Amino acid sequence: MTVVVSGVGVVLPRARTAPELMAPVAEAPPVEPKDLVGRKGLRYKDRATQLAYCAADAALRHAGLLDDDGGLRVPGGSVAVVASSNYGNLDTICRAMDTITEQTAAAGSAMDLPNASSNVIASSVAIRFGLRGPNLMLCNGATSGLDAVHWAATLIRGGRASRALVLGVEPDNEAVRAFTGGARTVDGAAALVVESGQSAAERGANAPAALGSYVRGAGLGRTLDRLAKATGDRPALWHVPEQRAAAVPDTLLAGVDRHDLAEVFGLGSGALGVLQCAAAVGWFAQGGAGPVYATAGTDADDASAGIALHGRAAA
Amino acid sequence: MSRAVTGMGAVAGLGGRGAGMSRAVTGMGAVAGVGGDVDEVFHNLCAGRSAVAELRGFDHARHTAHHAYEVDNRPAPGVDVTRRATGLLLDAVGQAVRDAGLDESDLSGVPVLVGTGLRELRSVELWRTQGAEFPAAELHFGTALREAFRADDTHTLSNACSAGLYALALGVDLLAQGADTVVVAGVDVLTETMYGLLERVQPVPPTRVRPFDRDRDGVLMGEGAAAVVLSRVPGTRPVHGLVRDVAVNCDAFHVTAPDPAGIAEAIREAHSRGGVKPADIDLLMVHGTGTLLNDEAEATALADVFGPDRDKPLVTATKSMTGHTSGASGLLNLVVTLRCLAEGRVPPTVGLENPVDEAAGFRFVTGEAARRPLTVAQLNAFGFGGINAVAILEAAR
Repeated sequence: MTVVVSGVGVVLPRARTAPELMAPVAEAPPVEPKDLVGRKGLRYKDRATQLAYCAADAALRHAGLLDDDGGLRVPGGSVAVVASSNYGNLDTICRAMDTITEQTAAAGSAMDLPNASSNVIASSVAIRFGLRGPNLMLCNGATSGLDAVHWAATLIRGGRASRALVLGVEPDNEAVRAFTGGARTVDGAAALVVESGQSAAERGANAPAALGSYVRGAGLGRTLDRLAKATGDRPALWHVPEQRAAAVPDTLLAGVDRHDLAEVFGLGSGALGVLQCAAAVGWFAQGGAGPVYATAGTDADDASAGIALHGRAAA
Repeated sequence: MSRAVTGMGAVAGLGGRGAGMSRAVTGMGAVAGVGGDVDEVFHNLCAGRSAVAELRGFDHARHTAHHAYEVDNRPAPGVDVTRRATGLLLDAVGQAVRDAGLDESDLSGVPVLVGTGLRELRSVELWRTQGAEFPAAELHFGTALREAFRADDTHTLSNACSAGLYALALGVDLLAQGADTVVVAGVDVLTETMYGLLERVQPVPPTRVRPFDRDRDGVLMGEGAAAVVLSRVPGTRPVHGLVRDVAVNCDAFHVTAPDPAGIAEAIREAHSRGGVKPADIDLLMVHGTGTLLNDEAEATALADVFGPDRDKPLVTATKSMTGHTSGASGLLNLVVTLRCLAEGRVPPTVGLENPVDEAAGFRFVTGEAARRPLTVAQLNAFGFGGINAVAILEAAR
């Protein structure tokens, strides 16, 4: 079964479209969710969830799944949600913990209860848009974003949903900076609508990219070898992993154009893989041709993952 | 027993076409407050022994609730340490892979799916309050699984209280899409933030979990881990039971409150995927958290789907003895349920005396463990955000 990308949403300070991931705008202020999706429903939501709302709205609209009033054009049960974030609710945990330590549990806010559960991003997006298919929250370290894309494709191939909204989000706040040793995250989100090729065709949706093979395992070099074997072709563009702990050796895929999103936008973590896939769609839209490899996790991480993406001519 | 025989015949006919045998459980592991392995857990549950005790992990002065179902493995009372969730997970996975006869020194290439509600967030709390050393790479379980078992296709799925059964659904899909062997696990330990925030929504601090009882006060957290090895081609090793299928969906209704309509839909889909009807179900292992909202919503949904057949299955809720082990609970129940099917024995729901009106007509096991031949079981797990998972299991015969 062909699984295609039929919608993209990008919400970063320096990129609001997929092509801008390859050619970012100059320095820009932080994303203000209320300016993008209105104030309604944002109260009591953590920043990660608010950013996810913005990216979800953009991707669902881009895919033609929302009508002018924001209503869903397809049955809610046909849409799965797979969200990825490692640090999404760290700020809630730290704030609630500070309250318990400095006062007592009785001083805590009941409004923090849903946000103390790490899946609040995935479930909140489902509630906001009425998406009643399978609902997954991946918190899987460096490879989490690519793993989320893989699980979305698995749900579609398994017949559990016709399409899935994939979200990658990492917020920037005091708790995350302290926990990561001072890193500044992307403070944004990306979203993809992935869909069975047949479902996209049936509703006349344009699908600029198709998902190819996914591999995950120990060692970046080995992962690239497996991906090349599965794809049967060298990539034209390579989105390299985040290199905070270990550099990517020059010998890997020598001669292939490399793109390092984390260097431009900040710590991608659980959002990185989704940003890379969105960037691939942007690259295809600008006329890029040939397979794109999205990869995450270096030899300093527990594993590496890779996905190949292929451009598709407009239907 | 004529009904049971009819049910067995109907389901065995479907299983004979090969649907069930492609999802054999060939290894099991468990650790919880009630026991350190599958035998001990099942034995104690059947004996009606509860793990509820005075809260061990946190300073009582900060909390109005003072009870929980913890695993008693901290270095000293009131002294908490990092990585306890990881420790329980490695224990359960190790048990399961040894039981299945896999090489526990090399799980490379074998998908290991871990469902969890709270990941290693307790370690984050200890980093925050006590400056405990805890690197970001250990927030998910892949790092420890690689070190312990050389596992490198690991996935930490943070799906609240249905995480374990959600992971099971993904494992079933991987087998259907070509994988030979998948390890599926669930784990959680108490976090102080979740424990404390639950106090804010439960006016009377519960001293125990009493699923479906009129006089229940709410939920108390528990700790544990469980793991199973799923095999598409089980080979010659003994099989603990079969996973017929798992349904997963989302209410898309409320961030904490369940929706009976979404739950009923998940149950119907599980029956349809599993090729069974309500009258085929011999055992209902309910989610049964003892909260006011869950038990009413779950009973309403079950009554809606089972209708006049509601008096057919035996029903029980193990959280009355394990507490709510969140992401571990679905798989802990899976392991227990497969033992129920294998032995024809069902643990009681401890503390259930006067069932809520919504549960009228269901045959809860109370008092002592029940004995009865069992073939097909249904397993429920629901989580914050309205994420529902329902599994249909079948005895290995």
